[in-house]
Amino acid sequence: MAKKIVLCRCEDVTLSDLEHCVDRGYLDIEEVKRYTGFGTGPCQGKECLGPMATQLARLTKQAPAAIPPFTSRPPIAPTPIKLLANAPDAHRFDDDLEPRRAGTVPGVGVTK
Amino acid sequence: MRGEPVEIRIADTAVRAYGGESIAAAALASGTRVMSRSLKYHRPRTFFCLEGHCSGCLVRLDGVPNLRACQTPCTPGAEAAGQNAFPSAEVDLLGAVDFLFSRGLDHHTLMTSSSVLNKLANKVVRQLSGLGKLPARGAVTLPAVGERRVDVCVIGGGPAGLAAATACASAGKSVVLVDDQLAAGGSLRADPTTGRDAANARVAEALSAGIELLGRSTAIGYFPEDDPDPAALHAAADQAKAAALSVAAGAGSSSEPAVHGPRGVLAVATPDQLVRIHARAWIWATGGYPVNLPFADNDRPGVIAARAVGRLLVDHGILGGDKVCIVEVPQLAAETDALAAALVTAGAEVTRVGLDDTHGTRGRSWVSSVETTRGRVDCDLVAVAAIPSPASEGPRQQGCAVVLDPEAGGFRVVVDELGRTTAANVWACGDVTGYVGPERATAHGTRVGASVATTLAKPEMR
Repeated sequence: MAKKIVLCRCEDVTLSDLEHCVDRGYLDIEEVKRYTGFGTGPCQGKECLGPMATQLARLTKQAPAAIPPFTSRPPIAPTPIKLLANAPDAHRFDDDLEPRRAGTVPGVGVTK
Repeated sequence: MRGEPVEIRIADTAVRAYGGESIAAAALASGTRVMSRSLKYHRPRTFFCLEGHCSGCLVRLDGVPNLRACQTPCTPGAEAAGQNAFPSAEVDLLGAVDFLFSRGLDHHTLMTSSSVLNKLANKVVRQLSGLGKLPARGAVTLPAVGERRVDVCVIGGGPAGLAAATACASAGKSVVLVDDQLAAGGSLRADPTTGRDAANARVAEALSAGIELLGRSTAIGYFPEDDPDPAALHAAADQAKAAALSVAAGAGSSSEPAVHGPRGVLAVATPDQLVRIHARAWIWATGGYPVNLPFADNDRPGVIAARAVGRLLVDHGILGGDKVCIVEVPQLAAETDALAAALVTAGAEVTRVGLDDTHGTRGRSWVSSVETTRGRVDCDLVAVAAIPSPASEGPRQQGCAVVLDPEAGGFRVVVDELGRTTAANVWACGDVTGYVGPERATAHGTRVGASVATTLAKPEMR
C-alpha cells in the first residue's frame, strides 16, 4: 500500500485530498463533501464527518463551532429496499392501506 | 453470546463458528482477514468498528451484497464472500490503482484532456468502481409495515438508553427502545470493567420494567411531514382499538383517549419489516461511533477501534492479537488503562503509543508493525483509542442543534442540564451529547429518563 492518511475509508478520501480541496478554495463542509465525495459512502459519514470537520477547522483556521455538519438524510443506515416497498406515502395514504405483494411494484420483487 | 457450534463458509473455506455470534467474529477467530476492497484505490478493507457503523466488513452473504459481517449472525450453512475485488479480496490485481496514484487521484481532472480518452476512462471506471454486484435473486415477499404508538421512544440500547428507558417505564410510561446491535448493551459489552454480564443485567432490568425492545433495529430516518393530521388519525386508530378491546372483553371501554401533538414518524428498520413509531417524547441515546486517528496507512487491515478490541475480548471471548499496539489520545487514558490491563491478563503483549508519536503502519494486507518516534513496534493488531464521534444524525433530522467539538469527538447534540435538546419533545443523553463513558452515561440516562417521565405527566403534555 502506498502511504496515505485516510480520513474517509468508504470513499478513499485522504488528508492530502482535503488539503488539495482547501487549496482550490473549497472551504465549506458541503463543498468539501461534493468535491471529495467524503461521507457519501455506505457509512454516510458516521466514521469520517467528525474527524474531517475537525481537520477542516484546523486547515482553514476556523473556530470548530463555526463549522456546521452536512445535512443528514434518511436512510441513516443501509436498509434493504424491500422493507420500504409497503411504506405508506404521505401523499397517497389512503391508497396504501392494502399491502403490496411481490411483483406488483414495477421492478421490485419480481421473481423470474 | 456463544451458541451451538455451526459450520459456515467464508471465502470458500469452511469455518467453525458459534450460532448467534457475528460472521465478523467468526472470520477474525478463524484467521480470515481481508473482507473487501476500497472503492477508489482498491486498498484492502476489513472490520474496524464491529458495531455496524463503518463500511469495513461489507460482504456478500448467500447471494445478497453489502451486508455488514459484524451485524449478521452465523447460521448453519451460511456462505459469506468478499466483494469489490478481482480475483479475491486477499489478492486484488486492481490494487495497482493505489500505487499508480500514490499521491492521490482527483477524479474531477482524471483523463479530461481529450473527449475520446475521457469516454474510455468513464467506461473503465464504471467497471472498477461501485459496491458489490446485484443480488442473485429478487425479494420473494415484501413485508407489511408495522406501527407503534408510545409515550417514549428511546433510540440506542447502551448504558444511557437502557437507563433512560428503565426510568421512563418504571414511572409507568409506555416505552419502545430501538437498538441496532446483535445484542443490546452498547459500550458495556466492550468495557472490561463492566463486562458482558452487566450488559445482560441492564437489559433484563429494562425488560422487567416493561419496555419493548426492538433489537437489531435501526432508526433510519425521521419524517416530520409523514403525519399530516395526527390527532384525527390517532383518535380514529385509538377508538378502533378501544372498541375492539371492549368487544373482546365484553365490557365498556375505560381507556383514556390519547391526544398527540403534531409530530412526525420515526422509521425503524427491523430485520423483518419497517416499523413506523409515533411517540410523545423522543430520547436519543445513540452514543458515539468509533473513529480512526490520522497517521499514515491508518486504514491498513489490522488497525481496528480500541472499543472493537474490547468488544472482541469482553463479548466474544476472542483475543484479537498476540502483540497489540494501542495508538491513543490522552483524553481516554483511563479507558485505555483498563483495556491494556485486560489484554495483558488475556495473554497479549501490549505497547502503548501516543498519536503524536505515531508515524504510520507497516505490513501488507495486515499490519505487522507501527513506526513511532521511539522506533518500530512489531505487532499483529493496532487498537485505535480515539474519542467516539457522537451519533447525531437522528437528532439532526429532528431539528436538534449540534456543535462541532473536537473534545467531544465530533458534532455533539446541544442539551441543557435536564437533557432537553433545542427541538420540542426531544431529549438526548450519554455520549451523543459529548463523550462521557459508560458509567456517567448510565447516570445521565437515569436522570434524563426521570425528567422526561415528569414532563409527560404535566397536564399540558396530555
